[in-house]
Amino acid sequence: MVSKKKKSNKKYLSFQDSILNLQKYWSKQGCVILQPYDLEVGAGTFHPATTLRSLGTKTWRTAYVQPSRRPTDGRYGDNPNRLQHYYQFQVLIKPSPDNIKKLFLNSLSSLGIKHEEHDIRFIEDDWESPTLGAAGLGWEVWCDGMEITQFTYFQQMAGIECNPVSVEITYGMERLCMFIQNKKNVFELNWNDQGILYKDVFYQSEKEFSAYNFEHANTDNLLKIFDMLEDEAKSLTEKKLSLPAYDQCLKASHVFNILDSRGVISVAQRAEYIARIRELTKMIGKVWIETQI
Amino acid sequence: MSDFFLELFSEEIPPNLQTNATKKLFFDLNNFFEVNNIKVKGSTNSFCTPNRIIINFSNISKDVVKKSEEIRGPSVDAKSEALEGFLKSHNIKKIQIRSKSTEKGTFYFYKKPEKKLKTVDLLKENLPNILDKINWNKSMKWGNNKMFWGRPLKSILAVFDEKKIEFNFHHLKASNYTFLDKDFEEKTKNFNNFKSYQAYFKSKKIILDQVKRKNFIINELNKVSKANYLLVDLKENLLDEITNIVEKPKIILCEFDKKFLNIPKEILIITMQNHQKYIPTFDKKQNLTNFFLVVSDTKDLKGYVKLGNERVIDARLSDAEFFWNRNKSQNLIKQLSDLKKINFFKGLGSYFDKTQRLKKLSSLISDELMISKEKIEIAASICKVDLKSDLVGEFPELQGIMGGHFAEAQGFEKEVCQSISEHYLPSGLHSKVPKNLYSITLSLSDKLDTLVGFFGIDLIPTGSRDPYALRRYTIALVRLIVENKIRIKLRSIINYSLTLYKEQGYEFDITKVLKELNNFILDRLKNYSKEKGIRSDIIESSILSNDIDELYNGYKKAEVLYRNIGKEIVRDVVGIYKRSSNILNNEIIKNKIELSNSVDTGLFKNDFEKNLYKKIQDTKKYFVNFGKNDNFEECLKELFKFKQDVNCFFDNVKVNDENELIKKNRLELLNLLCKNFDNFFNFSKIEG
Repeated sequence: MVSKKKKSNKKYLSFQDSILNLQKYWSKQGCVILQPYDLEVGAGTFHPATTLRSLGTKTWRTAYVQPSRRPTDGRYGDNPNRLQHYYQFQVLIKPSPDNIKKLFLNSLSSLGIKHEEHDIRFIEDDWESPTLGAAGLGWEVWCDGMEITQFTYFQQMAGIECNPVSVEITYGMERLCMFIQNKKNVFELNWNDQGILYKDVFYQSEKEFSAYNFEHANTDNLLKIFDMLEDEAKSLTEKKLSLPAYDQCLKASHVFNILDSRGVISVAQRAEYIARIRELTKMIGKVWIETQI
Repeated sequence: MSDFFLELFSEEIPPNLQTNATKKLFFDLNNFFEVNNIKVKGSTNSFCTPNRIIINFSNISKDVVKKSEEIRGPSVDAKSEALEGFLKSHNIKKIQIRSKSTEKGTFYFYKKPEKKLKTVDLLKENLPNILDKINWNKSMKWGNNKMFWGRPLKSILAVFDEKKIEFNFHHLKASNYTFLDKDFEEKTKNFNNFKSYQAYFKSKKIILDQVKRKNFIINELNKVSKANYLLVDLKENLLDEITNIVEKPKIILCEFDKKFLNIPKEILIITMQNHQKYIPTFDKKQNLTNFFLVVSDTKDLKGYVKLGNERVIDARLSDAEFFWNRNKSQNLIKQLSDLKKINFFKGLGSYFDKTQRLKKLSSLISDELMISKEKIEIAASICKVDLKSDLVGEFPELQGIMGGHFAEAQGFEKEVCQSISEHYLPSGLHSKVPKNLYSITLSLSDKLDTLVGFFGIDLIPTGSRDPYALRRYTIALVRLIVENKIRIKLRSIINYSLTLYKEQGYEFDITKVLKELNNFILDRLKNYSKEKGIRSDIIESSILSNDIDELYNGYKKAEVLYRNIGKEIVRDVVGIYKRSSNILNNEIIKNKIELSNSVDTGLFKNDFEKNLYKKIQDTKKYFVNFGKNDNFEECLKELFKFKQDVNCFFDNVKVNDENELIKKNRLELLNLLCKNFDNFFNFSKIEG
């Protein structure tokens, strides 16, 4: 017999309250609360408030939720765990404070996860992003065997050594809330306390975007667009406009992800596209450091 | 006598890094005490937890006498600044030095008097260097600091003789306190000796000693499993990893839904062990059960830990079950053409191309091993189809094994399923070697095809780099042949493989590939034999007379020879050979004699020559009739029988006869003798 779910009257935090609580908590820790970046990105790390702001010597503390898109992970809304669009809650602090583990664990209590009642473990997980030319050391945080957070000390970003070092904390909001709300299916998550579920908000979108990502995206156009975006990014870099250049780079990166999920990129080409994006990021990183006000 | 105690507290450091760092630090400290003549009479300890490295040396001498030593200063002819500098650096006056002439000229010397040093001062001075010498495989910086460590280092507790040792290490200042709780790092406490430190953590149920912690975990796992009539198969690697990610282990018995037991057990086990670090359990009949053990780092106060872990495994196994149901019904034959989309390697075609080659290659090998051609061809065709499945995508380490399960689910014959399942084996020097002839055939074909291909496009491993694991494949090849006593002519199979590549339009330099692959395989045979403890001169000699067409013989002969190397029989056989070949080589080199490889019996002058010749002819017959099932011990005995005739020959016959013709004929006789020995084994490189 599998242990039965504990029936209790305890009210679990809704999806939207979880985000609000994290925002409130990190705001109290002196973080600038930002809104999501207004472009399609693959992860919270791509937000310029993380990539670019982790470069250079200025101190920086921020927290924000970032809708993230991974076209290949789409399952037409049929899989209880996989989505092509999901939320990451991202914290970035530079330089990494000495008491960051404590700050993180307290953020879990703001979500109702009490440290003494759970088996919380910091399991080795080194992070690398070939497209960002980034690498870091850290952990995935396990709560009772479930990975709920990524915790990384950036060592390199855009090919540039980080000094000082930033710490990045990334909560996978859906997974975290499934843990908090004791749900097996992401679409069953309570979005709010008024009966709106995750599926009411995103089911149709998962279906349609999966169809777009896997079947209908016009790959001929996208291949051209990628080249155009790359050119644009380069010319903006030459003009020392790092932020607009970085926008082009993000767009190119998303176009690449769609092409990848459409299956039109071979293994060898894949490495080449990734290298092209990385080159852009590196150039932009340099300009950003030179021009940061 | 005093105690030294050191604790380095950090955020969670990965198991391997932390254990290696602890070992290195302990080694270096031991070394430091030894080099400085500091006597350690008491016990020493080196412990580690995920957050703490703990080192303790007890009963150390407080003082150490540094013996008087003579230090050479500048030359007497050097400028006065040099002398001044020397005086200054030792804080001495000119009156304390004297000049002395040496082979290299006359120099000033300072005789440094014997000095009493305090151990604690030496520690203070040297600890920062010793800590910096820890070679982290991977290390990092954090915050504004310059220090590199496995993960952020938070405090250094260093105590000698109940007092803190004051030193700075990068941005940190050593002290006598540490953090009590690893997570929040809120409370600190002073510890002035190791005893009180140990007592404190013991009271908190934290096991500092990793060996004790591991034993505790093993005992608890056994206890819980026994109480529930379960068996556990504890894997050393997993245990070590678990031991080093917890400090106060608690075992929790959990279970998953029985319905998942219908999924192939390899998937369940890999999910539990590799992904979740759980311990799977088995019933008395060695069948996997739906119970598993979690080593938690905390007491499960409210049952949440058990519940959480069960939910995690449930989600993971649901995914796996979904994929298993989908994949097992996807027709393997119909999916064959999908392999065209998966690249095997640039310049070597797709996996479809590869399986086409494998089909023919294994068909050829099946002739030699006398197994069903039809079955092995089917197995070869579909053995790579599982690469396309979701399950292998999710669990790459199950490639082959999944293919075997799919084939079984689709009703293929047992040999077909088993050979697909095992065709990646053996995966290393110590992993299981398939015994089934079908598995052997498919695995051999797969390895040879890969090796020929990579050698063909000139991606041959150099130095210690081997990005395509070609050394591993070759070791696997050697093990398949040697450990299964397979007699197979590799040369012709490699040739055929080259032809198969050519048929697909991949043209390689045939002579080059054959030669290089030949040497590469023989090198691996050498390594393999070395690993088995066989002396390298023996295997070298064996390889000289047995090429890759006789890989098994080459190994076996070396092994037999090595087993008997200390015995009279081998000593004498080697003696006979060396005595003959030495004379032969000397004469040939000295007098530039060219041998014609024929003995003229008419030139024999005595019975000793005749007897030896007759013996050689008899032995020749023996080797010809020897056949395939060689018993190499017998061969050795046969060669040993030469002893009498050879000794008589040397005792009574002078090889260096004045008559050049007779002399040459006697050399021809010795040459014939050596060649006869070479048939079995080239003894020339055997030492001693």
